[in-house]
Amino acid sequence: MTAVETSTYDSGALAGVSADEPILKVRDLVMEFPIRAGVFRRQVGEVQAVTGVSLDLFRHETLGVVGESGCGKSTLGRSLLRLIEPTSGTVTFGTEDVTAASKKRLRELRSDLQMVFQDPYASLNPRLPIRDIVGEPMQIHGVPKKEARERVGELLKRVGLLPEHGNRYPHEFSGGQRQRIGIARSLALRPKVIVLDEPVSALDVSIQAQVLNLLDEIQDEYQLSFIFIAHDLSVVRHTSDRVAVMYLGRLAELADRHTLYDVPAHPYTQSLLSAVPVADPRRERARKRIILQGDVPSPANPPSGCRFHPRCPVAQDRCKSETPELREVSPGHLVSCHFALEPGETLLDRTQQLGRTVDIAGG
Amino acid sequence: MTDTLAPKPSDDAFAATAPLLKADNLCVGFRTDAGTVNAVSDVSFEIHPGEVLAVVGESGSGKSVTALALMRLHPRNTDITGDVMFDGIDLLSLTDAQMRSIRGRDIAMIFQDPMTALNPVFTVGEQIAEAIRIHNDVTKPQAWERSVDLLQLVGVPEPKRRAAQHPHEYSGGMRQRAMIAMAISNDPKLLIADEPTTALDVTVQAQVMEVLHDVQEATGSAMMLITHDLGLVAGSADRVQVMYASRLMETGDLDDIFYESSNPYTRALLESIPDLQGVKESLEPIPGNPPSLLNPPSGCAFRPRCFMAGEECAGSVPELITIEGHHASRCHRISAMPAPVGVPS
Repeated sequence: MTAVETSTYDSGALAGVSADEPILKVRDLVMEFPIRAGVFRRQVGEVQAVTGVSLDLFRHETLGVVGESGCGKSTLGRSLLRLIEPTSGTVTFGTEDVTAASKKRLRELRSDLQMVFQDPYASLNPRLPIRDIVGEPMQIHGVPKKEARERVGELLKRVGLLPEHGNRYPHEFSGGQRQRIGIARSLALRPKVIVLDEPVSALDVSIQAQVLNLLDEIQDEYQLSFIFIAHDLSVVRHTSDRVAVMYLGRLAELADRHTLYDVPAHPYTQSLLSAVPVADPRRERARKRIILQGDVPSPANPPSGCRFHPRCPVAQDRCKSETPELREVSPGHLVSCHFALEPGETLLDRTQQLGRTVDIAGG
Repeated sequence: MTDTLAPKPSDDAFAATAPLLKADNLCVGFRTDAGTVNAVSDVSFEIHPGEVLAVVGESGSGKSVTALALMRLHPRNTDITGDVMFDGIDLLSLTDAQMRSIRGRDIAMIFQDPMTALNPVFTVGEQIAEAIRIHNDVTKPQAWERSVDLLQLVGVPEPKRRAAQHPHEYSGGMRQRAMIAMAISNDPKLLIADEPTTALDVTVQAQVMEVLHDVQEATGSAMMLITHDLGLVAGSADRVQVMYASRLMETGDLDDIFYESSNPYTRALLESIPDLQGVKESLEPIPGNPPSLLNPPSGCAFRPRCFMAGEECAGSVPELITIEGHHASRCHRISAMPAPVGVPS
């Protein structure tokens, strides 16, 4: 496909890692932000945006991360690449601890770990022509100019733009085209893992599918592993092999996509899925929707015990005091709930069994 | 989650009533340095009392501009032609003062971003009370009391305390509830909701949509719901209008649009969205980009992206052709349209 050997950019962290081992291992990742106040900006508290998240990413896999705003999904994505320094925990890429890497080594590792951002208007430097934006990673990593220039042309072609677009500036492109440019840039160093942070949520529906299909193609072509962060559950179902649901900084549930969408075990996952309107009027008329009360609480002052308990329609006393551990309810299906729903059991069944009433819409 | 498919509700529930709002050949153009941008071209529609009309389209399709023109909230450099009759009044011929007496009382609007729509320096209660006092001869305490009642109605907890708070003390969902409270403060006949839940999380979106439905049912007002989210439309609309590049592409009852669409754009749009049920194996994107309204393509604006465009499509703008009842579609090749796929799954 190209004259450039992949090994030119390889950080070497994957040497000796077998194909069925995780490519990226996250263990007990915590990300705290200080809250400062007063004249001297003294620290008066902290926000735990991510609390003890552990997960694995396998080769050529897409792991979806979903949750509502403030659940920590973007913070998680950024701390994996150390775009923000995690407070504690480890991120292991292949054989190497990313969290312990020196600055110089981290730069090398980032040739394998890349990111695509949500806002294609804010993530591209408006003063640089596209060829410099896409070529910048190669310049940083010392790829010869001539080679880099050729590669920029190839990359632009690959993402559905024309090589001559390289001379233009970001403002000359539509949102969808800009996101293609962001993808081309992330591919420049032939990464192994790309963290996609809401890659299509700023785009119009007719353009979303174009970008999703492009991501699908390049994943196969370059054997990439994706962490796909999004709030749109339909998009995540479509793109992901496994899905992690986050709530207030913690993992609520993690499973392969069929299990997660068809037999969700966490009350939060069920209510989240039930809240999504589907573009099918007959289904919408027929279904009963459980309406969660209240808003997501502030991560600066998270509820005790299970963080979902104030909104959970089936919470019990134990949930208020005891934080549920992530446990395996069936192979590969992890849930952090003391009273996880059984396969086939709906949240509505459970509320009735407990003799409680919930707010239901539709039906 | 185990749903059975419900039949279509009895149709023509609204056909008998006279329209509350009737727009005929509405055109909205913006004069810019680069030329006139026709943001809304030749749009005609009706809204009946108690009905929810969804206006669907992508950014730049003209859906929000249509609403702003109805409310006469458009910028100065705007040319509007056509007729808009609301409850027997010709809206476009009113003076600004006359329009002010209708706006907020008979027609109220809910905007997408409640943080920019609410005034940050006044309490939420004051702002709702102001909306009441503009149109009603009541004292300040009476208006305040009513605003507390309204906040309670839209599900704001502790409405007494909350009314005395400023917008920044509210969460996004609560702010949107406050906006709804303000919009319904004068029992409007028509609510225009422009992307009312786009800025909200999905669980909060469900709450707000329910509040909107309850309010609409309680007051019997009609609603124009402007959105790009086809799921939201499927769950709440009676009738749907699909807009593309300033024109109506298709209009019809909810089920006409979702199950028996006669328009290539509507169909392509429905094909391109991922579904929650996981029925779709692959997505069929719409190629290309929406056209520039400064320099739209000749003939049908969707032609360059259309899977069934032919020679005739470049010649002239197709007419909106009535198919049956409310159902109409703008397409030259309507006779060549493949049979509808019908019920998915």
